[in-house]
Amino acid sequence: MAEFALPKHSKIVKGIDYPFIGETKNSRKVNVYRWSPDDDQNPRIDSYTIDLDECGPMVLDALIKIKQEIDSSLTFRRSCREGICGSCSMNIDGTNTLACLKSIEDVKGDINIYPLPHMDVVKDLVPDLTKAYAQLTSVKPWLQTDTKPEQGKSRKQSPKEREKIDGLWECVLCFSCTTSCPSYWWNGDKYLGPAVLLQAYRWIADSRDENTNERLDDLEDTFKLYRCHTIMNCTKTCPKGLNPAKAIGEIKKLQLERK
Amino acid sequence: MNNSINDNLIKVEDLKTLKTHGVGHWKLQRISAIAMVPLVVWFTSSLMLILIGGYEQSIEWLQSPFNATGLILLFGTLYFHAALGLQVVIEDYVHHEGLKIVSLILIKLIAFVLGVLSILCVLKIYL
Amino acid sequence: MSEYEIIDHEHDVVVVGAGGAGLRATLGMVSGGLKTACITKVFPTRSHTVAAQGGIGAALNNMGENDSWQFHMYDTVKGSDWLGDQDAIEYMCKEAIPSVTELENFGVPFSRTEEGEVYQRPFGGHTLDYGKKMARRACAAADRTGHAILHTLYQQCLKHQAEFFVEYIATDLLMDDNGKCVGVLALCMDDGKIHRFRGHQTVLATGGYGRVYFSCTSAHTCTGDGNAMVLRAGLPLQDMEFVQFHPTGVYGAGVLITEGSRGEGGYLTNSEGERFMERYAPTAKDLASRDVVSRSMTIEINEGRGVGPNKDHIFMHLEHIDPATLHMRLPGISETAKIFCGVDVTKEPIPVLPTVHYNMGGIPTNYHGEVVTRKGSDQNAVVSGLMAIGEAACVSVHGANRLGTNSLLDIVVFGRAAAQRALKTVEKGASHAPLPKHVTDKILARLDKMRHAKGDISVGEIRTSMQNAMQKHAAVFRSNSSMNEGVKKVDTIANSLDGIGIKDRSMIFNTDLVEALELENLMQQAIVTIKSADQRKESRGAHSHEDYPERDDKDWMKHTIMWLNDKNKTKLDYRDVHLNTLTNEVATVPPAARVY
Repeated sequence: MAEFALPKHSKIVKGIDYPFIGETKNSRKVNVYRWSPDDDQNPRIDSYTIDLDECGPMVLDALIKIKQEIDSSLTFRRSCREGICGSCSMNIDGTNTLACLKSIEDVKGDINIYPLPHMDVVKDLVPDLTKAYAQLTSVKPWLQTDTKPEQGKSRKQSPKEREKIDGLWECVLCFSCTTSCPSYWWNGDKYLGPAVLLQAYRWIADSRDENTNERLDDLEDTFKLYRCHTIMNCTKTCPKGLNPAKAIGEIKKLQLERK
Repeated sequence: MNNSINDNLIKVEDLKTLKTHGVGHWKLQRISAIAMVPLVVWFTSSLMLILIGGYEQSIEWLQSPFNATGLILLFGTLYFHAALGLQVVIEDYVHHEGLKIVSLILIKLIAFVLGVLSILCVLKIYL
Repeated sequence: MSEYEIIDHEHDVVVVGAGGAGLRATLGMVSGGLKTACITKVFPTRSHTVAAQGGIGAALNNMGENDSWQFHMYDTVKGSDWLGDQDAIEYMCKEAIPSVTELENFGVPFSRTEEGEVYQRPFGGHTLDYGKKMARRACAAADRTGHAILHTLYQQCLKHQAEFFVEYIATDLLMDDNGKCVGVLALCMDDGKIHRFRGHQTVLATGGYGRVYFSCTSAHTCTGDGNAMVLRAGLPLQDMEFVQFHPTGVYGAGVLITEGSRGEGGYLTNSEGERFMERYAPTAKDLASRDVVSRSMTIEINEGRGVGPNKDHIFMHLEHIDPATLHMRLPGISETAKIFCGVDVTKEPIPVLPTVHYNMGGIPTNYHGEVVTRKGSDQNAVVSGLMAIGEAACVSVHGANRLGTNSLLDIVVFGRAAAQRALKTVEKGASHAPLPKHVTDKILARLDKMRHAKGDISVGEIRTSMQNAMQKHAAVFRSNSSMNEGVKKVDTIANSLDGIGIKDRSMIFNTDLVEALELENLMQQAIVTIKSADQRKESRGAHSHEDYPERDDKDWMKHTIMWLNDKNKTKLDYRDVHLNTLTNEVATVPPAARVY
């Protein structure tokens, strides 16, 4: 059966409290999920109180400040810090998002930070995304054509045709959407999830791609595609404002039109 | 992570052999849902009249060929739609292969039996 | 060192880094049949190429302006302030055309013209007819061109089933006793195991080291690991004093606002509301070279004409541009401005400041991507088994100042060139000579020392003081006194590395250890950067020396090369600038005064 409660060894316990030392008028408590595979301890929530007057505006700035000044063992992925690389996706204040785009101001009260839900945890806030990457590979996310472009020439595409892939190719593969989807939680081994389906549709919608039929054949599957029950968490959570639910809807529409 | 991506890829690729078509099911579920809309509206509004009129009037209502046909159509669609919907629920939450197959067969069987039973009841009164 | 389990891999070629250059090289090698390993410390699409915005330069001539690669070459040489090697620049500008067309054929979602061709926009320093008017040469995918290119290259690598080793941080090159590079040692972050990759060519595509500065547009991962590995392998880095400041980093946050926004019609103003670039660059105005614009902005601020309560930044205006154009051509920066400074670009100007952006310097190579060094009188001695491409390399096509759009071009052209070269020089499946044990042991000792470092200064503390010192002493304007002080400061901070302490002793995803290794890498580059800057007594491109405000072609038209030993002592030498062109299709661009 699908698991609805955490197994015993995954139950979260209270961790270490790092109070603020010194004086500040603008302190904030940051509660962070911690787990390391090195010992047999259950995951815990460590609390760090930081001075927001001495911190950048984003949640990622707070995490970096904690790692830099309080606890260098705190582990998370980060890179571009401007919302384009997709590294720092995590669950903040109950929503999956990119820590670098999430303003501290937008969080009321304590800032609660967990790894992306329902993924295996490598350590602290670092989820294991290998399965999601493999699923991405499985939809053959590259241009497939039978005809060759004229030697040394670009393929032509009108601005109208090009417009059809706007809102699709900009995905940063942070998998915030995929890990917010209950269907993916229960059937992540077989359901491709919104991020990968968005990528699949990106190629279906590209006027240059010539393998639309095979792509649709491949997706026409109870589990790969039709586990999407239009819950819409994906669209609601996407930190880049994309609409994976619509892309999935478009794939379903095309499937219907073919039959 | 190099190996785990490849391992995962093998698992993902393996799914191809287990492919089950989804568009038919998806389509029928939507068609049956749409079909139920007028049927349910008609039935609930009729229900008002029946409830006011009591037993005798209900029997009389059902003896109209139009009403009996409508009710048979409603029951048929309802159980068909319910079976499709419950199939999705089972596929979502029951992961044990054996248990899943048994549940799916049971659901379809129960829906079929209840459907036939309901239709026979209507016919009995009508005839 | 028995504590570390070592896993051996043998490949024809090992590529370190999976940004645009690493992926383009990997793609070329794999599709050509070489057994290639691509090692990367972040998942490929997280590499910093993804953040490139404005475009990739190529004289495709899609905008009907009679553009040609010869104009592109002239602009690049002029942009480089005549420090670029003209043979390499010729190669890049000529190969730009097939390389970018190839990208389109791979599936890059370029924006389009009404005729269905790849859309091109104006960019700083790119002109027609040798500087007469601005050219539309930057091939763009909205303002997310790097994202479009990086994802497409990754997709092509997937298509060809390239072998990736993701979240492996390369620690050092394996150099045999003859000075030949025979592979690289890497730490798998996922489980802490050591992997020894053997390759007949090792290609460093490890990017720049923007993070030696406090405020930069570079990602946290831009720590120039390859550059530092080269220094530790006893090889020099070239032209490290040339650090590009991008005119328009968001004030405070430091994130990038593309030059393409000025290409689409944006302009800069000072506190008097004056479009001051008209004074500094009468023809190109806001689209002059980046060094010119950054210097002009700094002068405006220094002379009291900055904006804001502290008069310490400049405004960039886009609000006069049609909102529909902004939405179509600059959606990403509209979003960035909103998120990072709360500015609605259709209504208000964006507060900007010159911010560290790109390293022109790096590992010296020839235009095939092969690493070169100076051995006595031989200025172009090829280092066997080692290649470098992308921002890590100094070919040198950017000289003293890179033009916008030439970095994406650099990675694609030289990634491709490296693959072509490897296909010619590497014998497929050839066996690897045994490696003496001491080679690996030395590297492991360094790693082990860092892993068990018990000092009382944290990585964060040392990193911040280094970044502050570099920010202050190797800035837009430099002077003898400031740089002398900087050299001393950086030396002291480098010594404090002996007292470093790390808290995380785990072998699994130990980012504390990784950041410490990266800090050591950064520090070595900081030393070489500030010392290279200190010795160059002229002003050229991005290196503006207040005590020597003029370019001095007689004494200084030469590349700095600098070695660093394990005691952090540097050794200095020079290489001549290649003024010759590669073919007779184009003539050498003779040095001239640089006016925009």
